[in-house]
Amino acid sequence: MNNKNILIKQILYLVLPVISVLLLIVLWFFASSVNRVLVPTPGDVIDRFVKTFTNPINNQYIWGHIWASLRRVLIALFFSCSIGIPFGILIGWNKTAEATVGSLFELIRPIPPIAWLPLIVMLLGIGEIPKILIVFIGTFTPIVLNTATSIKLVDPLYLDVGKMFNANSMKLLFNIALPASMPAIFAGFRTATSGGLMVVMAAEMIGAQEGLGFIIQRGMDAFDVPLIMVGMVVIGLVGVFLAVVTNYLEKLVCHG
Amino acid sequence: MDKKLRLRINEISKSYKLKKKDYHKVIDSLSLDIFDNEFLVILGPGHCGKTVLLNIIAGLETPDVGFVELDGVKIDGPNPDMGMVFQKTGVFPWLTVMENVELGPRFKGEAKSERRERAQKYINLVGLQGFESHRPPQLSGGMKQRVGIARAYTNNPEILIMDEPFGALDAQTRYSMEEEISNIWSIEKRTVIFVTNNIEEALALGDRIVLLTECPARVKEIYEVNMPRPRDLMSEEFLLLRQKISENTDLSIDSEV
Ligand SMILES: Nc1ncnc2c1ncn2[C@@H]1O[C@H](COP(=O)(O)OP(=O)(O)OP(=O)(O)O)[C@@H](O)[C@H]1O
Ligand SMILES: [Mg+2]
Repeated sequence: MNNKNILIKQILYLVLPVISVLLLIVLWFFASSVNRVLVPTPGDVIDRFVKTFTNPINNQYIWGHIWASLRRVLIALFFSCSIGIPFGILIGWNKTAEATVGSLFELIRPIPPIAWLPLIVMLLGIGEIPKILIVFIGTFTPIVLNTATSIKLVDPLYLDVGKMFNANSMKLLFNIALPASMPAIFAGFRTATSGGLMVVMAAEMIGAQEGLGFIIQRGMDAFDVPLIMVGMVVIGLVGVFLAVVTNYLEKLVCHG
Repeated sequence: MDKKLRLRINEISKSYKLKKKDYHKVIDSLSLDIFDNEFLVILGPGHCGKTVLLNIIAGLETPDVGFVELDGVKIDGPNPDMGMVFQKTGVFPWLTVMENVELGPRFKGEAKSERRERAQKYINLVGLQGFESHRPPQLSGGMKQRVGIARAYTNNPEILIMDEPFGALDAQTRYSMEEEISNIWSIEKRTVIFVTNNIEEALALGDRIVLLTECPARVKEIYEVNMPRPRDLMSEEFLLLRQKISENTDLSIDSEV
């Protein structure tokens, strides 16, 4: 009898998400029936999506725009990691570094990355570098923060184990504190990735010529609501793709 | 037995700050001499400062008052001659069982084949053969404790400190591990400082049993155990000593991990 209950629960948990999605679609169709121009049907959006493969927007098919956004995020993430992880390790491990550069970082950190946008555009224009820079600002913070916090809070017991084996402070850091912090660093990377997508959207809505943010902006200017929705759905898919890649990387680095 | 003094614990006290001006005294002017190659058991009730005492001996913590000397030299940090089996195991989840066990010699820079051979010996000894490439999250609490034991032994310390190493083991495994530890000690003599809150375990293992008081910890009594190994847990001598100790303490009710 208990087994049967468990089975029913399992089936329920499988079916419930499907029902939720169906409900959403029904709701969507209903909204479309009220005002199809402002709320196009799912079919309209799919049609518009298919068209992006044949009709270029500003001389680029959808792949070009996806790649433009993805490239900006990946370049920014690359720099955030290669600067942010060492920086995080430094301020997490070294009290002096924490008190000096760490407190500067703390001072700047509360400023949301998008608040930097106007200043950066005024200083550096609307080219590629300011866009990457703004995404960098958005991804740098979570990576530094997660790295520093987890290095700082590494279980003292682990360090005691190392000390009993006569490990010097370099070994304590690189053989104990750092591997112990890997899961937290990856969590920071994950936050950075979704934050990066968010910031790149905003950056591309100001004077960009390509990218998913640009597509959404173009859809708004042309009153092409299906195109706006295509941009929204595709950026969501890019997010899913990045999350999958990140999970795979984490398995590779942390041995699952 | 030759009685060469190895460790001298001299009048140490340790308190922890609770609130602003509220101190919690954990160890109160405790003195104890530990001799070369003896199997010393420290027996005390829960939360009475046993782990803190071991950490001070190991040089991981400093006493507020008093000092510990190793071979006449004051301890002011962890010493490579000592090894520790931690109560909370401290096994690294990102390393395999083998990588955990060979950690000490690896940090020393010992050649891989050499250290692996020794690590394997102790992995087998604690009954973990077949689990070499498992990672700690896949292991039970008792298995992690055994990894911690093998790791400490593999580093070949002259003085081995063990903090309730069998706390998370089931009775069966606990019994056979006690026998095994006692055997290793008979073969490769070294100084062992072994903490437990279990009287029978203390009697099965110790040359001397140091009974601690309730918080704050002080030495209440020291018992010499002159019984041959392996010990007969049913012998009259054993039962008598057991009764004597349990009458002197109220830790008989205390059997928490
Ligand atoms: N770093 C610390 N800061 C504050 N209090 C501490 C610290 N370390 C230990 N204590 C306190 O000291 C007391 C003794 O702790 P200890 O771990 O030595 O007990 P124990 O005898 O090993 O207990 P158990 O049998 O549970 O292992 C406890 O009340 C504990 O809360
Ligand atoms: Mg303890």
